[in-house]
Amino acid sequence: MLSDFSLKFQAEEQPERPLWRAIQSTEILHFVRSLLLAYDVIGVQKKRGRLVLDSLQDAADLVLEFPPAVHSPKKFLFPHWDQLFRFKLDENILLEAETAAPPRIIFGMHPCDLHAVKILDDCLFEGETDSSYRAKREATLLIGVDCTPDEFCFCTSLGTDRIAEGFDLFLHKRDGHYLIQTGSERGRKLLQDHAPETYDGPEESPLPLQVKQCDNKIKFPFESLPNLLEDAYDDKIWQELGHRCLGCGSCTLLCPTCYCFNVQDKLEISMQEGQRIRTWDSCQFDQFAQVANGNNFRSSQADRQRHRFFRKYKYLWEKHQRTACVGCGRCRRECLSEIEPVTVLNQMFADSPQPAETRPGSEYQPQMAQIIDVEQLSEKDRLFRLRLPQSIDFTPGSFMQISVFGLGEAPFSIASAPDGGNEIELMVRKAGTLTQALHRSRKGDSIGLRGPFGSGYPLASMHGKDLLLVAGGRGLLAIRSLLQAALADRHNFGRITLLCGARDIEALVFPEDLLDWHRSELLDCRIAVKDPDNSWGIPSLDISYLFKDLDIDPQRTIAAVSGPPEMYRQVNPLLFRMGLAEENLYLNLERHMKCGLGKCGKCQINNIYVCECGPIFPYSAIKHLGEAIER
Amino acid sequence: MKMKVGLFDFAGCEGCQLTVMNLEDQLLQVLQHIELVEFRELMTETAEQIDIAFVEGSICRPGDRQRLKQIRQRSKVLVALGSCADNGGVNALGSDRTPEVLRQQVYANDLPHLYTETPQPLSAVVKVDYRVPGCPIDGQEFLAILQALLLQQQPELPAFAVCVECKLAEYPCSFDYGQVCLGPVTRAGCRAICIDGGGHCRGCRGLIDNPRTSPYHRILEQHGLTVEEILDQYRTFNVSEKAP
Ligand SMILES: Cc1cc2nc3c(=O)[nH]c(=O)nc-3n(C[C@H](O)[C@H](O)[C@H](O)COP(=O)(O)OP(=O)(O)OC[C@H]3O[C@@H](n4cnc5c(N)ncnc54)[C@H](O)[C@@H]3O)c2cc1C
Ligand code: SF4
Ligand code: SF4
Ligand code: SF4
Ligand code: SF4
Ligand code: SF4
Ligand code: FES
Repeated sequence: MLSDFSLKFQAEEQPERPLWRAIQSTEILHFVRSLLLAYDVIGVQKKRGRLVLDSLQDAADLVLEFPPAVHSPKKFLFPHWDQLFRFKLDENILLEAETAAPPRIIFGMHPCDLHAVKILDDCLFEGETDSSYRAKREATLLIGVDCTPDEFCFCTSLGTDRIAEGFDLFLHKRDGHYLIQTGSERGRKLLQDHAPETYDGPEESPLPLQVKQCDNKIKFPFESLPNLLEDAYDDKIWQELGHRCLGCGSCTLLCPTCYCFNVQDKLEISMQEGQRIRTWDSCQFDQFAQVANGNNFRSSQADRQRHRFFRKYKYLWEKHQRTACVGCGRCRRECLSEIEPVTVLNQMFADSPQPAETRPGSEYQPQMAQIIDVEQLSEKDRLFRLRLPQSIDFTPGSFMQISVFGLGEAPFSIASAPDGGNEIELMVRKAGTLTQALHRSRKGDSIGLRGPFGSGYPLASMHGKDLLLVAGGRGLLAIRSLLQAALADRHNFGRITLLCGARDIEALVFPEDLLDWHRSELLDCRIAVKDPDNSWGIPSLDISYLFKDLDIDPQRTIAAVSGPPEMYRQVNPLLFRMGLAEENLYLNLERHMKCGLGKCGKCQINNIYVCECGPIFPYSAIKHLGEAIER
Repeated sequence: MKMKVGLFDFAGCEGCQLTVMNLEDQLLQVLQHIELVEFRELMTETAEQIDIAFVEGSICRPGDRQRLKQIRQRSKVLVALGSCADNGGVNALGSDRTPEVLRQQVYANDLPHLYTETPQPLSAVVKVDYRVPGCPIDGQEFLAILQALLLQQQPELPAFAVCVECKLAEYPCSFDYGQVCLGPVTRAGCRAICIDGGGHCRGCRGLIDNPRTSPYHRILEQHGLTVEEILDQYRTFNVSEKAP
């Protein structure tokens, strides 16, 4: 959560439209000279042969083109030695809270470091605002400048190579001069007051967002970092790093976003007064996580390295939706043991179990299955037995997408029970072009298959229960899969009753199976057909008649009703009247489906994707959905 | 009642005592809070009872042991002042040969009045309560430790390595110049003055509590340096200590 303060920074400070002006090196010199009269100007400069970030004495010393190796502006926004307050020893009173900060300008910040300030803002304004940071942040204007990545930078992998806001001014290097862009009202004012000629100069056309090229790259999208780490808590890589790391802490101390600190009292030499100060601390130090009795809950260097990486790429992501790393490469540059985040993350990624499909688009590509048997069930219905390249695991009620190249794909319920093998049965009823084409396929032909999709009946949770299966029309397909599975494991179930209804005998999907079940001792199978002139001699009955003399124990019964919506409207009330609980009734909701992946939205019922959460649902889960069974 | 403080010296260059005297103004302020009862460089008095004894130098001459034991008896708290007292320091450099051989090599003649034993840290003879490391000591650290003791607190030394102070001060790393540096295993607190001065760390402040030996050796190898080379450096101040 952003505090009021950072909101203020973002909302009020944003000028209506950024100004773009050309600025020559000599004008920059004058600009800095003028700033030095009113501000403490921090900039990169050469001191004793080295480039350091420090207070400028002379505008001419300012270096604007500097390598990413220089210390980050954390040095001034969140300094290593920061007085929190002063105290008197004998009276134990606070003299003053130290929040005053000198008006300051950091002249020359690379985009990654500007992003790093946003991370510090996230963390230090969250909850109880850190007033000492806030004072410095408020009193400091930030002027960004372009940079050239070195071999350790990996900002491009984290999107921190570019920046559109979060600065007061930004200097873009052009041929022989700079373009200056305003990023806030304060920045605009600064330019107006201290570089009036530039400010009044002609309007320049804005540059597109400037991006960079880094050779050092994370080989996967950075958004997957939290998940990658989630699975890597016990990875061997932490031990490896632990063996290499000196525990010197340089990596975290010099990181522009690390802000863990220690609080200490420093007494004046007089021993009357003192100051409470904070200094940078490092999770890599021995005593960082030590508690009073000497125990250390992060006792090995491996633990500490893991903590560092988790904090950078997971913990703070979960809090603020950005990595706490901006890819500046300082931790690697400063590490004598050459521990480098990109290498670590890429190695962890390479070691992580990769999902089977990594080819782009492969989730939509079918695999080829062979037709090993075709059975004509009725004039319109054909049963196909298919052999897949590998075994297939699914719950009864799941479905497959059959592909016919040139005609597309359509969903079909798996009509057989899961048996751990690589064969399944699918029943295809002639409807339109695709189903007709399938009917022309012969034994030995290949067809495309994707799946299994969806979630079916929770078989294991039905153990020990009586099963009441109610099927109408094609609804028998899912019920057949469930029934076959239950029969294969018969001793685990109580009574099994199957009620099956259809218009006429021809509309019964598996007539042979139904006759077998009807004769079987293993279950009670009852059939109703509406057509009075049927060849089986069944009296003309509606399925609801089958419930009349039905005797079930509602406490131990699980009902699975599968058929068209009319059937649910008819049957559900009967079951509830018998005392069945809503969560013990499963329905099969057929919807138009394309992707099977919870993406295309075709199968959506209110807020639920049937292809993922269904097609088998307990009634209690969908009864509140207006679109589920109502018309 | 002001605490009675004494400063004592054994074999050493007196650089640590000099550092204390160089505190000048600060020292004068501190003196208001203590009663200085013995300090050979400043006064001639001696005391029966001492609250805090700072002892400089290593133990090697006949009679040193006896005198140190007496200081210990008179003192509530005994603090080793500087490397010589803390771990033998530069004095112990010649410890790889016997005193006889050493004398022969240095003076050519055997001069009985120069008889010494192999220099040893205070802790080889008496119990040492606290230490101010470094050769010479850091004046500010000395003051902080004294302050803590006056307030009856436990003085603390930095637990981290010199590298930290070196990086914070933005000095270039010695390893980048192919120089051996003991910074990664040496206790911080000196503000990396040697690196600031263009040199490298020779470990005068002694090892950190938990030096990471194997990563350190790997780094030496990577920079084409041998453990022998680092030991050479290390022995300057830490002969009596186990090598990193
Ligand atoms: C979860 C599920 C399981 C199914 N199981 C079977 C089964 O086991 N056996 C079987 O014969 N049929 C099953 N169907 C229906 C089957 O998918 C359609 O009959 C088939 O898509 C018709 O395609 P077509 O090209 O032959 O006809 P078309 O001329 O394209 O369409 C004929 C009818 O099928 C509907 N339909 C078309 N495409 C889809 C689709 N992608 N999803 C749902 N309905 C569609 C149309 O709306 C139309 O009402 C199932 C449907 C679903 C949603
Ligand atoms: S800089 Fe390197 S050696 Fe030092 S703590 Fe960090 S990872 Fe370990
Ligand atoms: S973790 Fe390393 S690369 Fe990332 S921001 Fe910190 S210092 Fe830079
Ligand atoms: S520790 Fe160093 S400075 Fe102090 S007395 Fe010994 S040799 Fe001299
Ligand atoms: S010069 Fe020495 S102390 Fe400084 S960083 Fe390098 S190894 Fe560490
Ligand atoms: S850098 Fe090393 S040798 Fe130099 S004072 Fe510090 S600890 Fe001693
Ligand atoms: S079939 Fe595409 S979202 Fe369900």
